[in-house]
Amino acid sequence: MPRGDFLGSLEQIVMLAVMRLGTNAYGMTVRREIEERTGREISIGAVYATLERLEAKGYVSSFTGEPTAERGGRAKRHFEIEAAGHLALNASQNALKNMSEGLSRRWKRA
Amino acid sequence: MSPSTLALSERILARLMPPAQAEALVGDLLEECRLRLQTGSHVSVAGWYSRQLASSVSVLLWASMRRGAWLVTVVTAVASFIAALGIQLVLGFALSPMTTSKSMRAVIMLLSFAAALAPCGYVAASIRLGAARLLAFLVFAAYCAMLASSARAPLWYDWSLLVLGPVATIAGAALSGWLRRVRL
Repeated sequence: MPRGDFLGSLEQIVMLAVMRLGTNAYGMTVRREIEERTGREISIGAVYATLERLEAKGYVSSFTGEPTAERGGRAKRHFEIEAAGHLALNASQNALKNMSEGLSRRWKRA
Repeated sequence: MSPSTLALSERILARLMPPAQAEALVGDLLEECRLRLQTGSHVSVAGWYSRQLASSVSVLLWASMRRGAWLVTVVTAVASFIAALGIQLVLGFALSPMTTSKSMRAVIMLLSFAAALAPCGYVAASIRLGAARLLAFLVFAAYCAMLASSARAPLWYDWSLLVLGPVATIAGAALSGWLRRVRL
Protein backbone atom coordinates (compact mmCIF):
# COMPACT_ATOMS: atom_id res chain seq x y z
CA MET A 1 0.00 0.00 0.00
CA PRO A 2 1.46 3.40 -0.93
CA ARG A 3 2.16 5.73 1.99
CA GLY A 4 -0.84 7.83 2.90
CA ASP A 5 -3.31 5.71 0.91
CA PHE A 6 -5.78 5.03 3.71
CA LEU A 7 -9.16 3.52 3.04
CA GLY A 8 -12.25 5.73 3.27
CA SER A 9 -14.95 4.90 5.83
CA LEU A 10 -17.29 3.28 3.28
CA GLU A 11 -14.39 1.30 1.82
CA GLN A 12 -13.54 -0.03 5.28
CA ILE A 13 -17.18 -0.89 6.00
CA VAL A 14 -17.56 -2.72 2.67
CA MET A 15 -14.31 -4.65 3.20
CA LEU A 16 -15.32 -5.64 6.71
CA ALA A 17 -18.69 -6.85 5.37
CA VAL A 18 -16.93 -8.92 2.70
CA MET A 19 -14.65 -10.36 5.39
CA ARG A 20 -17.61 -11.25 7.63
CA LEU A 21 -19.55 -12.93 4.84
CA GLY A 22 -16.62 -15.03 3.60
CA THR A 23 -17.62 -17.25 0.69
CA ASN A 24 -21.14 -15.79 0.66
CA ALA A 25 -20.01 -12.23 -0.14
CA TYR A 26 -21.84 -10.84 -3.15
CA GLY A 27 -23.70 -7.59 -3.86
CA MET A 28 -26.97 -8.31 -2.09
CA THR A 29 -25.48 -9.93 1.03
CA VAL A 30 -22.85 -7.17 1.39
CA ARG A 31 -25.55 -4.49 1.15
CA ARG A 32 -27.81 -6.23 3.69
CA GLU A 33 -24.91 -6.88 6.08
CA ILE A 34 -23.99 -3.19 6.07
CA GLU A 35 -27.60 -2.10 6.58
CA GLU A 36 -28.16 -4.57 9.43
CA ARG A 37 -24.92 -3.85 11.29
CA THR A 38 -24.62 -0.08 10.81
CA GLY A 39 -28.27 0.94 10.41
CA ARG A 40 -27.06 2.97 7.45
CA GLU A 41 -29.21 2.73 4.33
CA ILE A 42 -27.02 2.09 1.33
CA SER A 43 -27.79 1.54 -2.35
CA ILE A 44 -26.59 -1.52 -4.21
CA GLY A 45 -24.96 0.85 -6.72
CA ALA A 46 -22.83 2.39 -3.96
CA VAL A 47 -21.72 -1.11 -2.88
CA TYR A 48 -20.73 -2.01 -6.45
CA ALA A 49 -18.98 1.32 -7.07
CA THR A 50 -16.95 0.86 -3.85
CA LEU A 51 -16.10 -2.75 -4.65
CA GLU A 52 -15.05 -1.75 -8.18
CA ARG A 53 -12.72 0.91 -6.74
CA LEU A 54 -11.26 -1.59 -4.25
CA GLU A 55 -10.79 -4.14 -7.02
CA ALA A 56 -8.97 -1.56 -9.16
CA LYS A 57 -6.60 -0.97 -6.23
CA GLY A 58 -6.02 -4.73 -5.92
CA TYR A 59 -7.61 -4.96 -2.45
CA VAL A 60 -10.43 -7.29 -3.44
CA SER A 61 -10.96 -9.74 -6.29
CA SER A 62 -14.16 -11.07 -7.82
CA PHE A 63 -15.40 -14.05 -9.73
CA THR A 64 -18.70 -14.88 -11.42
CA GLY A 65 -20.85 -17.63 -9.93
CA GLU A 66 -23.50 -19.81 -11.51
CA PRO A 67 -26.80 -18.25 -12.70
CA THR A 68 -29.72 -19.10 -10.39
CA ALA A 69 -33.51 -19.19 -10.92
CA GLU A 70 -34.37 -16.83 -8.02
CA ARG A 71 -32.22 -14.19 -9.71
CA GLY A 72 -34.02 -14.60 -13.04
CA GLY A 73 -31.12 -16.61 -14.48
CA ARG A 74 -28.55 -13.96 -13.58
CA ALA A 75 -25.17 -14.93 -12.13
CA LYS A 76 -23.81 -13.72 -8.78
CA ARG A 77 -20.54 -11.79 -8.56
CA HIS A 78 -18.62 -13.03 -5.53
CA PHE A 79 -15.95 -10.95 -3.80
CA GLU A 80 -13.01 -11.86 -1.61
CA ILE A 81 -10.30 -9.84 0.11
CA GLU A 82 -6.74 -10.04 -1.21
CA ALA A 83 -3.56 -9.88 0.89
CA ALA A 84 -3.05 -6.23 -0.09
CA GLY A 85 -6.59 -5.55 1.11
CA HIS A 86 -5.84 -7.02 4.54
CA LEU A 87 -2.74 -4.79 4.78
CA ALA A 88 -4.68 -1.68 3.75
CA LEU A 89 -7.47 -2.43 6.20
CA ASN A 90 -4.96 -3.03 9.02
CA ALA A 91 -3.15 0.23 8.26
CA SER A 92 -6.42 2.22 8.17
CA GLN A 93 -7.76 0.68 11.37
CA ASN A 94 -4.41 1.19 13.15
CA ALA A 95 -4.31 4.83 12.04
CA LEU A 96 -7.76 5.42 13.52
CA LYS A 97 -6.84 3.55 16.70
CA ASN A 98 -3.63 5.56 17.12
CA MET A 99 -5.42 8.84 16.51
CA SER A 100 -8.14 8.10 19.07
CA GLU A 101 -5.76 6.70 21.71
CA GLY A 102 -5.69 8.71 24.94
CA LEU A 103 -8.76 10.73 24.04
CA SER A 104 -11.15 8.87 26.31
CA ARG A 105 -11.48 11.82 28.72
CA ARG A 106 -12.03 14.44 26.05
CA TRP A 107 -14.24 12.27 23.86
CA LYS A 108 -17.92 12.86 24.63
CA ARG A 109 -19.43 9.58 23.56
CA ALA A 110 -23.16 9.30 22.90
CA MET B 1 -41.07 -7.06 -11.02
CA SER B 2 -41.91 -7.46 -14.72
CA PRO B 3 -39.25 -8.82 -17.11
CA SER B 4 -39.46 -5.62 -19.17
CA THR B 5 -38.73 -3.47 -16.07
CA LEU B 6 -35.72 -5.65 -15.26
CA ALA B 7 -34.48 -5.57 -18.85
CA LEU B 8 -34.80 -1.77 -18.93
CA SER B 9 -32.95 -1.47 -15.58
CA GLU B 10 -30.18 -3.70 -16.94
CA ARG B 11 -29.91 -1.60 -20.10
CA ILE B 12 -29.64 1.63 -18.12
CA LEU B 13 -27.05 0.20 -15.72
CA ALA B 14 -25.04 -1.37 -18.56
CA ARG B 15 -24.37 2.19 -19.80
CA LEU B 16 -22.66 3.00 -16.51
CA MET B 17 -20.80 -0.23 -15.73
CA PRO B 18 -19.60 -3.39 -17.54
CA PRO B 19 -22.65 -5.43 -18.75
CA ALA B 20 -21.70 -8.49 -16.64
CA GLN B 21 -21.68 -6.32 -13.50
CA ALA B 22 -25.00 -4.73 -14.47
CA GLU B 23 -26.48 -8.21 -14.85
CA ALA B 24 -25.20 -9.23 -11.39
CA LEU B 25 -26.52 -6.00 -9.86
CA VAL B 26 -30.04 -6.51 -11.30
CA GLY B 27 -29.88 -10.15 -10.11
CA ASP B 28 -29.06 -8.89 -6.59
CA LEU B 29 -31.99 -6.46 -6.69
CA LEU B 30 -34.35 -9.18 -7.92
CA GLU B 31 -33.18 -11.62 -5.23
CA GLU B 32 -33.71 -9.04 -2.50
CA CYS B 33 -37.12 -8.10 -3.92
CA ARG B 34 -38.15 -11.76 -3.60
CA LEU B 35 -36.98 -11.77 0.03
CA ARG B 36 -38.81 -8.52 0.79
CA LEU B 37 -42.03 -9.82 -0.80
CA GLN B 38 -42.24 -12.44 1.98
CA THR B 39 -42.88 -9.69 4.54
CA GLY B 40 -43.96 -6.63 2.50
CA SER B 41 -46.55 -5.69 -0.11
CA HIS B 42 -45.97 -5.49 -3.86
CA VAL B 43 -46.29 -1.70 -3.73
CA SER B 44 -43.69 -1.24 -0.99
CA VAL B 45 -41.26 -3.62 -2.75
CA ALA B 46 -41.75 -1.82 -6.08
CA GLY B 47 -41.07 1.47 -4.28
CA TRP B 48 -37.92 0.04 -2.69
CA TYR B 49 -36.75 -1.24 -6.10
CA SER B 50 -37.31 2.17 -7.73
CA ARG B 51 -35.44 3.98 -4.93
CA GLN B 52 -32.54 1.53 -5.13
CA LEU B 53 -32.36 1.89 -8.91
CA ALA B 54 -32.52 5.70 -8.82
CA SER B 55 -29.83 6.05 -6.13
CA SER B 56 -27.65 3.40 -7.82
CA VAL B 57 -27.85 5.20 -11.17
CA SER B 58 -26.81 8.50 -9.57
CA VAL B 59 -23.89 6.88 -7.71
CA LEU B 60 -22.70 4.94 -10.77
CA LEU B 61 -23.10 7.98 -13.03
CA TRP B 62 -20.87 9.98 -10.69
CA ALA B 63 -18.36 7.09 -10.54
CA SER B 64 -18.20 6.85 -14.34
CA MET B 65 -17.74 10.62 -14.62
CA ARG B 66 -14.88 10.44 -12.13
CA ARG B 67 -13.28 7.68 -14.20
CA GLY B 68 -13.32 10.13 -17.09
CA ALA B 69 -15.34 7.91 -19.41
CA TRP B 70 -17.99 10.58 -19.95
CA LEU B 71 -15.53 13.39 -20.22
CA VAL B 72 -13.67 11.70 -23.10
CA THR B 73 -16.99 11.02 -24.88
CA VAL B 74 -18.20 14.61 -24.52
CA VAL B 75 -14.83 16.13 -25.51
CA THR B 76 -14.58 13.81 -28.56
CA ALA B 77 -18.12 14.67 -29.69
CA VAL B 78 -17.65 18.43 -29.29
CA ALA B 79 -14.23 18.37 -31.01
CA SER B 80 -15.71 16.34 -33.91
CA PHE B 81 -18.58 18.83 -34.17
CA ILE B 82 -16.17 21.76 -34.39
CA ALA B 83 -14.02 19.89 -36.94
CA ALA B 84 -17.12 19.12 -39.04
CA LEU B 85 -18.10 22.81 -39.07
CA GLY B 86 -14.58 23.73 -40.16
CA ILE B 87 -14.49 21.16 -42.99
CA GLN B 88 -17.97 22.20 -44.12
CA LEU B 89 -16.94 25.85 -44.27
CA VAL B 90 -13.79 25.08 -46.29
CA LEU B 91 -15.64 22.74 -48.70
CA GLY B 92 -18.51 25.18 -49.16
CA PHE B 93 -16.12 28.05 -49.80
CA ALA B 94 -14.07 26.01 -52.31
CA LEU B 95 -17.02 24.50 -54.20
CA SER B 96 -19.57 27.35 -54.34
CA PRO B 97 -17.72 29.36 -57.10
CA MET B 98 -18.31 26.37 -59.43
CA THR B 99 -21.88 27.54 -60.09
CA THR B 100 -24.01 30.68 -59.96
CA SER B 101 -27.34 28.85 -59.63
CA LYS B 102 -28.88 29.21 -56.15
CA SER B 103 -30.37 25.72 -56.04
CA MET B 104 -27.07 24.16 -57.24
CA ARG B 105 -25.27 26.02 -54.47
CA ALA B 106 -27.75 24.63 -51.97
CA VAL B 107 -27.08 21.11 -53.26
CA ILE B 108 -23.32 21.71 -52.99
CA MET B 109 -23.77 22.94 -49.42
CA LEU B 110 -25.77 19.83 -48.57
CA LEU B 111 -23.15 17.54 -50.08
CA SER B 112 -20.29 19.35 -48.34
CA PHE B 113 -22.27 19.09 -45.14
CA ALA B 114 -22.56 15.30 -45.52
CA ALA B 115 -18.94 15.01 -46.67
CA ALA B 116 -17.81 16.85 -43.52
CA LEU B 117 -19.94 14.93 -41.05
CA ALA B 118 -19.36 11.36 -42.28
CA PRO B 119 -15.57 11.32 -41.61
CA CYS B 120 -16.09 13.12 -38.29
CA GLY B 121 -18.64 10.48 -37.29
CA TYR B 122 -16.13 7.82 -38.35
CA VAL B 123 -13.32 9.32 -36.25
CA ALA B 124 -15.59 9.92 -33.23
CA ALA B 125 -16.82 6.29 -33.34
CA SER B 126 -13.22 5.03 -33.63
CA ILE B 127 -12.43 6.80 -30.36
CA ARG B 128 -15.72 6.05 -28.62
CA LEU B 129 -19.04 4.86 -30.04
CA GLY B 130 -20.97 7.04 -27.59
CA ALA B 131 -19.14 10.10 -28.98
CA ALA B 132 -20.54 9.45 -32.48
CA ARG B 133 -24.07 9.15 -31.05
CA LEU B 134 -23.61 12.37 -29.10
CA LEU B 135 -22.24 14.04 -32.25
CA ALA B 136 -25.37 13.00 -34.21
CA PHE B 137 -27.50 14.46 -31.43
CA LEU B 138 -25.45 17.69 -31.36
CA VAL B 139 -25.84 18.09 -35.14
CA PHE B 140 -29.58 17.48 -34.92
CA ALA B 141 -29.99 19.90 -31.99
CA ALA B 142 -27.83 22.58 -33.63
CA TYR B 143 -29.84 22.51 -36.86
CA CYS B 144 -33.14 22.43 -34.97
CA ALA B 145 -32.02 25.60 -33.18
CA MET B 146 -30.90 27.11 -36.49
CA LEU B 147 -34.23 26.33 -38.18
CA ALA B 148 -36.14 27.83 -35.29
CA SER B 149 -34.15 31.06 -35.41
CA SER B 150 -34.19 31.73 -39.21
CA ALA B 151 -36.47 30.80 -42.09
CA ARG B 152 -34.53 32.14 -45.07
CA ALA B 153 -33.70 28.86 -46.80
CA PRO B 154 -36.25 26.75 -48.75
CA LEU B 155 -38.11 24.12 -46.73
CA TRP B 156 -36.64 21.15 -48.66
CA TYR B 157 -33.15 22.43 -47.85
CA ASP B 158 -33.89 22.82 -44.13
CA TRP B 159 -35.40 19.36 -43.82
CA SER B 160 -32.59 17.78 -45.86
CA LEU B 161 -30.06 19.35 -43.48
CA LEU B 162 -31.95 18.09 -40.47
CA VAL B 163 -32.08 14.51 -41.75
CA LEU B 164 -28.79 14.38 -43.64
CA GLY B 165 -26.65 15.58 -40.70
CA PRO B 166 -27.42 12.80 -38.22
CA VAL B 167 -27.64 10.20 -41.05
CA ALA B 168 -24.17 11.11 -42.38
CA THR B 169 -22.74 10.99 -38.84
CA ILE B 170 -24.29 7.59 -38.11
CA ALA B 171 -23.17 6.27 -41.52
CA GLY B 172 -19.57 7.24 -40.68
CA ALA B 173 -19.90 5.57 -37.27
CA ALA B 174 -21.40 2.44 -38.86
CA LEU B 175 -18.50 2.28 -41.31
CA SER B 176 -16.05 2.50 -38.40
CA GLY B 177 -17.86 -0.35 -36.58
CA TRP B 178 -18.00 -2.48 -39.72
CA LEU B 179 -14.27 -2.00 -40.44
CA ARG B 180 -13.45 -2.89 -36.82
CA ARG B 181 -15.43 -6.14 -37.12
CA VAL B 182 -13.79 -6.98 -40.48
CA ARG B 183 -10.31 -6.44 -39.00
CA LEU B 184 -11.15 -8.78 -36.08
